[in-house]
Amino acid sequence: MTSKSEAPARTRPPTSDVVGTAILAAVGAFALVMGFGYGFLEEGGKVGPGFLPVVTGGFILVASLAEITRMYLTHGQRGGSLMDFTEDIEEEANAAIGQTADPETEGSSESTQQRDTFGRTASPRNRAIVKVFGILLAALLVMPWLGLLLSLTAMVLTVVLWVERKPLLPSVLMAAGALAGAYLIFVQALGVPLPQGALGLI
Amino acid sequence: MLENLQIGIETAITPHNLLWCFAGVLLGTIIGMLPGLGSATGVAILLPLTLGMEPVTALIMLAGIYYGSQYGASISSILISTPGDSSSVVLTLDGYQMARNGRAGAALAISAISSFVAAVVSLIGLMALAAPVADFALRFGPPENLAIILLGLATIVSFAGENMLRGIIMAAAGLLISMVGVASGFATARFTFGSVNLLSGLGFIAILIGVFAIGEVLHQIHRGGEKPIKATFRDLLITKSELRRSVAPALRGTGLGFGLGTLPGAGATLASFMSYGVERSFGKFKKQVGKGAVEGVAAPEASNNAAANASFIPTLALGIPGSGTTAILLGAFVIFGIQPGPLLFEQQPELVWGLLVSFFVGNLILLVLNLPLAPVFAQILRVPYSYLYPIILLMSLVGAFAIGNTSFALWVVFGAGILGYFMKRFDFPAAPMVLGLVLGPLLEKYLVQTSALGQGNLLILFHGPISATFTIAAIVAFVGPPVAGLIRRRVRAGKEIRETAKV
Repeated sequence: MTSKSEAPARTRPPTSDVVGTAILAAVGAFALVMGFGYGFLEEGGKVGPGFLPVVTGGFILVASLAEITRMYLTHGQRGGSLMDFTEDIEEEANAAIGQTADPETEGSSESTQQRDTFGRTASPRNRAIVKVFGILLAALLVMPWLGLLLSLTAMVLTVVLWVERKPLLPSVLMAAGALAGAYLIFVQALGVPLPQGALGLI
Repeated sequence: MLENLQIGIETAITPHNLLWCFAGVLLGTIIGMLPGLGSATGVAILLPLTLGMEPVTALIMLAGIYYGSQYGASISSILISTPGDSSSVVLTLDGYQMARNGRAGAALAISAISSFVAAVVSLIGLMALAAPVADFALRFGPPENLAIILLGLATIVSFAGENMLRGIIMAAAGLLISMVGVASGFATARFTFGSVNLLSGLGFIAILIGVFAIGEVLHQIHRGGEKPIKATFRDLLITKSELRRSVAPALRGTGLGFGLGTLPGAGATLASFMSYGVERSFGKFKKQVGKGAVEGVAAPEASNNAAANASFIPTLALGIPGSGTTAILLGAFVIFGIQPGPLLFEQQPELVWGLLVSFFVGNLILLVLNLPLAPVFAQILRVPYSYLYPIILLMSLVGAFAIGNTSFALWVVFGAGILGYFMKRFDFPAAPMVLGLVLGPLLEKYLVQTSALGQGNLLILFHGPISATFTIAAIVAFVGPPVAGLIRRRVRAGKEIRETAKV
């Protein structure tokens, strides 16, 4: 974090951040163009169905481009905020989060310190997110065959066994418990007709 | 007022409503404690469970989750230096320091008592102010309503944090998402790309479940989970000196939190930071703040609870949510066929006053639960997150289906989950997006009506005194912070140049 009294170093902002903001700018531009197509104004200069898409699209486009410029020009320096002193506190508090000063780990090796409570280091952590998104997508894709509850239970089991590498028995018991809980709450208590898929089991 | 209060008491203290109020605050406390599951996520995930209830019972339970999570979030901040909710981030400073100094129990007690005091004071304020504000708002026409929505959006963008531009982008993105489907007041389908599923829009709750539940859970995996509790409860009793020192900061925090909470969009997080800042800059024990001082716990705790309650004033009286979570609650009102706003107090007194009285009951339950049972709740923090988050994913998806009753809602949750994850990862604030999403249809409705009233001239906003005041306030809230920031940077740069020249 950059101290306010220091001159901010103009370093390159993370590419992913720039790309993400550029995508938002593109979304804004798209909304702007589409908005004109819907009709910006109606007869008598009244607001048309495209008015709000044009205005909001314009805001997104301009603010995203300004944000990208800010990232390059004032990287590490903050600005445009209402309350300076609350930001100092926020920075301190954010820095304090998770700083539990555990004596068991304080003197340990660097590699141990980098492991989180899932037992992962940074790289497997990123892979875990991709895996979870992939499993989620797969569960939604098999839902027309397995039904909602079974496909999501399979998702839970896969996440616990494959991503989290937990032992088989507790994982199966946990997935079965989740299935039973969801069935009792949504199907039995609330009477929600959940899709049963081609299998038609539950 | 007294008659309404009596109606409220009769509604709130039925065994059925008391039971669900208890369930709400208990679930809220647990959810608030779990890292990555704040009040917004809790309300969004558990909203489907209330579908079979009476509207008043459902709203009592959902509101209980909201303020219950404020208490729960403090427990994890104090014990593991990890906030369950953004409004408790500041407690990781003095709260955790107190815990490390062997005063974990005292920190938890001060936190619970301050929260309760703030809740009672702010609820009296809420009851006193909400009805007159609603009465006043009955005079509002489309220009006034449009102006106040613009003020709400401008406020939340101003308070979005260190980068206002990201707040603007997110508020506009929320508005844009709300425009998918057939435009209100027109027959034009927008951004549907020929899909029948998109004609009725993207589903507000599905998006929120995606952004908050899926996005937050995955971000938690990215952050790497939390360390286990190391603080011990060597001293569960609060000393007289600690209690005495907490009174003034708690009252100051309550006042500040209540004032900020009444502004649409300001919220509890900002209130907690500001009240902490006040104690550190002006408090009697300002030098001790940051090193485990009771003032650093009492003030922000009181402040965030007061703000949470005060945010119901714009939500109930104007139909404009005061925070991200009240925006979700507003969505819940709509699901139950209730339109919050000035007419709500006239048309549904049992619901409004029952809800308000339930806040008192809920906070009392929380005090009773939290004082002796905080160490018991803390055990929940030991449940491995590896087992917990897949269940959260399952419940979120089934819940989204239950509300939308269509498989398409699940795809919306998935897409919104990806969006929510990247928003968290790259620090794009969620609250402006939620407000944009909720206010989008209302904004467009009043915009079209105002435009028709002014025969195409939107400057009609400046014709009436009320709409002109709100519009000017919105412009000031929107333009003021960047201008102030620019001036501050210039002054700072000038100072640095002068100091360099001296050296």
